[in-house]
Amino acid sequence: MYEEHDPERFANAEKEMTKMLQDSLKKRKTPTNTMFLRLSDFSKAVSSGVVKWSRSNSMWPMLFGLACCAIELMDFGAARIDAERKGYLLFRGTPRQCDVMIVAGWVTKSMVPRVKRLYEQMASPKYVVAYGECATAGGPWYESYNIVKGIDQVLPVDVYAVGCPPKPENLFAALMKLQEKVGGKVAGSEERTIAENPRRAENERV
Amino acid sequence: MPVMRINVGPIHPSTHGVLRLLVDVDGDTIENMTCHIGFLHRGVEKLMENRMYMQSPSYTEKLDYVAPLGWDDLYVHTVELALQKEVKETAKYARVIIMEFQRIASHLFFIGALCNDVGQMFTMFMWAFRERDAVLKFLEDVSGSRMFYVNMRVGGLMRPLPDDFYDRAYKLTEYIAYKVKGYKDVIDDNSIFMERTKGIGTISKKEAIDFGLSGPNLRASGVEYDVRKKYPYYAYDKLKFKVPTSNIGDGYARYKMRYEEIFESIKIIRQALDKMPKDNDVVGFPIKLIGPEAKPDIVINHHELPRGEGIIYMVPDKQKPYRIRLRSPVFISLSALEHICKGAKFADLFSIAGTLDVVMAEVDR
Repeated sequence: MYEEHDPERFANAEKEMTKMLQDSLKKRKTPTNTMFLRLSDFSKAVSSGVVKWSRSNSMWPMLFGLACCAIELMDFGAARIDAERKGYLLFRGTPRQCDVMIVAGWVTKSMVPRVKRLYEQMASPKYVVAYGECATAGGPWYESYNIVKGIDQVLPVDVYAVGCPPKPENLFAALMKLQEKVGGKVAGSEERTIAENPRRAENERV
Repeated sequence: MPVMRINVGPIHPSTHGVLRLLVDVDGDTIENMTCHIGFLHRGVEKLMENRMYMQSPSYTEKLDYVAPLGWDDLYVHTVELALQKEVKETAKYARVIIMEFQRIASHLFFIGALCNDVGQMFTMFMWAFRERDAVLKFLEDVSGSRMFYVNMRVGGLMRPLPDDFYDRAYKLTEYIAYKVKGYKDVIDDNSIFMERTKGIGTISKKEAIDFGLSGPNLRASGVEYDVRKKYPYYAYDKLKFKVPTSNIGDGYARYKMRYEEIFESIKIIRQALDKMPKDNDVVGFPIKLIGPEAKPDIVINHHELPRGEGIIYMVPDKQKPYRIRLRSPVFISLSALEHICKGAKFADLFSIAGTLDVVMAEVDR
């Protein structure tokens, strides 16, 4: 699945397609505006409609936990919250089959390259949820020497779930928010946060 | 056969927490194994030395996040010894009840996670988490928070117990006893579970003492040592309970110890509920303890945590500890893992690690 409209790839195809359409219109001699479709419009319509709909309704999270929030992540997968009814509960053991990375727990400096590598291994439409205080901003370990103060200094984050730890219901709400965002129902759905922090460059070198 | 080196983790669906294992295998047999730890290190002891006494419980309970109240309770008791404050009589019983519920929740988590590790997928996980959630809901109503109850204060608890504390606690013990008895049909006679735990990861009595194991792992090897029995704190000397032991020392015995401890905890809770004074006078000192007069001596305190014997060494100062050192039981059992795994099959690695009940945040600190 191509992610965005690639002008080089479709330049010739577009020209040919429009030419064919115009020729057919000339032959039929029925000037209708609706028939005058360009391929780019068509691809845009598809990518905004069908693709967004299908992406937002099959969110597969990655089986990946770091610290205490991972216990609540296990509870999210357990009996109390029936997460399967929204299509979240196919926790996969490999990053290549996943759409959502739920960063649950504090990220130490020795863990940064590994988390980054997992993110890079995921297939292309990929989203990140920062779950808990530590992944959002460092949490209670803010003054520690070995903690990255928020995963958004390393990865682009889509949704933050705040709490210490957030209840499983909070994660459910966060994933529903992410669904709305991917489905294009929220304003600014293309935006993703990367912290503008002077320490960011330092952390990238880790 | 040439020796192959396999890297497991640090992020792996079956490692408990973030743990990296370098395993040298000859065919299917483990020749040698090295643990790499420190992926969750954040300097807890140093952070606690820069906090006032009652600011630290929010750090101590994130040490062992499966049973947060264990370290919380131990730390606050150590502070009480350092500041020479007495615990209220009702609060002693209340702490015993809350701690035993926490132990039950922790052991239920162990059972659910272990059954996932040995390949008995998801049935036991769902069941154990159902009961654990009932305990968590009860503790939430007592303390106000679902997972990290910062409930302990010097001299007692944070707030008075709810009105229906007695009835609810008693009903909850009945519920858990009824449900956990039903686990026997699924686990104890299950051929998958038996084959993957019986005779695997055996620790002899001498080895267990040499490694320095404690808690259920030590008792599974035949050493009857329990801090609650040997050096009773709070109200444990007034309560009658047994210390389950086994002479076998394999993974199945370690599971069995925890299974039986759930029923012993229920016994303790029921006795404590009956003996507890009904005045509901449990609220301790407020969180702002300004200028307490600490004892200048070194304080060493130990409790029986769900995973073994936790020890805190503290050099108190006026407003905050000058030096604090935590002795984690999980670190010791993880160091034993390297020796137990030699000669075992590679597929049994996570069965052994699962039965030792490892929580990585406590190891790395």
